[in-house]
Amino acid sequence: MFTEFAQYVLNGLVLGALIALPALGLTLIFSVQGFVNFSVAAQMTVGAYAAWLAGAYLGWSSILMLLFAFLVPGMLGVAADRLALAPIRRQSGAHTALMLAVVSIALNLAIENALRFLFGSNLNSFDIPVERNLQIWGLSVGPQQLRNLVTALLIAVALAAFFSLTRWGKAMRAVADNTDLARLKGIEPRNLANLATFIGMGLAGIGGSLLAIDTSVDPSTGSRLILVIFSASVLGGLTSLYGAVLGALIIGVMGEVAMIAMPPVYQSLTAFLAILFILLVKPTGLLVGAEGVRK
Amino acid sequence: MADASTVQPSNTKQNARIIMREFDRRRFLAGAAGAGSMAAFWPRALLAQGTQPIKIGILIPLTGSTSQFGATMSAAAKIAVSNINAAGGVAGRLVEVLIEDDQSNPEAAVRAVRKLIDVDKVVSIGGSYASAVTSAIAPLCYESKTVLFTSSGADSITKTPHNGYVFRTSPTVTLQGTRVGQYALELGAKKMFFLGPQTPFAQSYIDIISKLFKDAGGFGQGLIYEDKRASYRTEVDQALRTNPDVVVLGGYVPDTSVVLKDLYRAGFGGKKIGYSFGVNQVLADGLPHEVSEGTASLVPSASEDSTAYKTLIGKMGRSALDSYSCQVYDHVVLTTLALAQAAAASPNGTVVRDAVRAISQDPKGEKVSDVAQGLKLIADKKPLNYDGPSGPLEFAANGDVEGVFFRYEQVQKGKMALLKVA
Repeated sequence: MFTEFAQYVLNGLVLGALIALPALGLTLIFSVQGFVNFSVAAQMTVGAYAAWLAGAYLGWSSILMLLFAFLVPGMLGVAADRLALAPIRRQSGAHTALMLAVVSIALNLAIENALRFLFGSNLNSFDIPVERNLQIWGLSVGPQQLRNLVTALLIAVALAAFFSLTRWGKAMRAVADNTDLARLKGIEPRNLANLATFIGMGLAGIGGSLLAIDTSVDPSTGSRLILVIFSASVLGGLTSLYGAVLGALIIGVMGEVAMIAMPPVYQSLTAFLAILFILLVKPTGLLVGAEGVRK
Repeated sequence: MADASTVQPSNTKQNARIIMREFDRRRFLAGAAGAGSMAAFWPRALLAQGTQPIKIGILIPLTGSTSQFGATMSAAAKIAVSNINAAGGVAGRLVEVLIEDDQSNPEAAVRAVRKLIDVDKVVSIGGSYASAVTSAIAPLCYESKTVLFTSSGADSITKTPHNGYVFRTSPTVTLQGTRVGQYALELGAKKMFFLGPQTPFAQSYIDIISKLFKDAGGFGQGLIYEDKRASYRTEVDQALRTNPDVVVLGGYVPDTSVVLKDLYRAGFGGKKIGYSFGVNQVLADGLPHEVSEGTASLVPSASEDSTAYKTLIGKMGRSALDSYSCQVYDHVVLTTLALAQAAAASPNGTVVRDAVRAISQDPKGEKVSDVAQGLKLIADKKPLNYDGPSGPLEFAANGDVEGVFFRYEQVQKGKMALLKVA
């Protein structure tokens, strides 16, 4: 019984680590730009296809593959932001954040269907052999999933270092804290907005490529996960990067452990319950304030 | 959108646009109404009574989630009509098919069927594919005494009080489940586990296959999961805890591919059997060979060795054709032959219903697979037994087809290899 429980927790952590990267991206963009950019889902898929092209077609090494999966959705994200979202942002009003979120959903559909047009609806697998699970203390885990977990953790650590050690990182946190004050100190929020979008979408892209290595790529690879990503981000407080990682791990573990008592058909329910719980009990999220809240 | 009747209204619309610039709104409206009624009545006025074409409705998914066979279904229906008309039609009257898109959506399907029945006065409706669509339109058909030919699987469809107006040319869910269970037993399995997403059939599959295993002294269990998930590790763990020697995969392609990967990772060495909508060439192309190797699949099959099938794929310029498009072809042919057989003065649904069995399953009739030959036999007042590209088309009392074929396939080195057709 204990082994079974531990196995579910482990499965949840592996899944949570995959969700953590796009949730980080969503949170980062929200912190700096002030709206939920739902097109992270499609950008995950863009990253997955970029990695697939680099790996299965061009035969690049896995480091280069992940880098490509970061750069392509990052740049596409900035371009899409400049083209579709920036014009709406300029006409600032009471409903701007809502309008931006709605337009980002449309953007998500547009990118997803562009991918469908380019690559078709079929599944594509990476040219990486599927390995049998390892058995450790009675628990089984796949080597690829361990690598995914480690990659996600490394990226989260690198991100933390970027935000606490570099000038750009600190400036970004300053904008997230208080845009007007940051501007007074000579920080140009627009450049930072581009950088936040670039990093945020890049993270989503890497998350998507790790997910795709684990499963396969098709045009809706990312959209299937948007609910859990969004709830992970909300659970973490929408502005806290640590909160996003924590939220993702909690959602991942909750979903898997819930299957002990609940029919697997209702698994998404745990994500809804998490959002409901947070809205009712602690609307600010679990870790708000750790990074500062956007005013 | 009705294929056959698009030409004139679109011209009318074009003319109307030109007229609009020159006249005021009221005169434009009057003019458009006049043009519309002209378009509607002109052919009838021109043709003598009884020589206007007999209309057959075809309701198929051309768009939406179930549209994968829509295009070939539409092409098959058109080929059926051109074959029939080339052979002189029904007693000198031409046949016309009106193809409507159900948009993979029951609500859109109901609107389309209302139009086919009330406006076009079709004698039969063929093609209907998704079970949800067919369940929605079946009452409209049998209440208006219009024959419905369907390729849907849900058992409930022929349990409606349809008074013989519904004919099903595809195997039922029960039959598909039974065949999969029997095949698993044939392979020597004793313990079965079913893994599939929430669909209207999932629980029926579990019940049917589990019962077969129990009756054979074995054991069967199942788990219904949520589809569109990134990982099925925990579900697979739960399945493997029962130590199954066969896993039945009830999912569609995206989730089945993840389940197969997770089964492989967990080191599952037993047998894997799926359905054609989950285990097919698309799946095999998307998975590493070692993961998909040996997974079997049951596919409702067209009558692939028959002359009718070979003739049809020849006419369509294809190397193979799905069973559903073959069924749509047969829906048009069955309607036509039934009307020709009955030789009624005014063709309608009841005439079709009463004559279908006479032309498709008369044991004394001459076997024909060609519609022109069938029409000739009827003209010569000789009995016939039509076998189409989709199968021998013998119907049970409730309208379900009997004697359907399945293709038993297996993934071998990334390709679907045919094991047998039975």
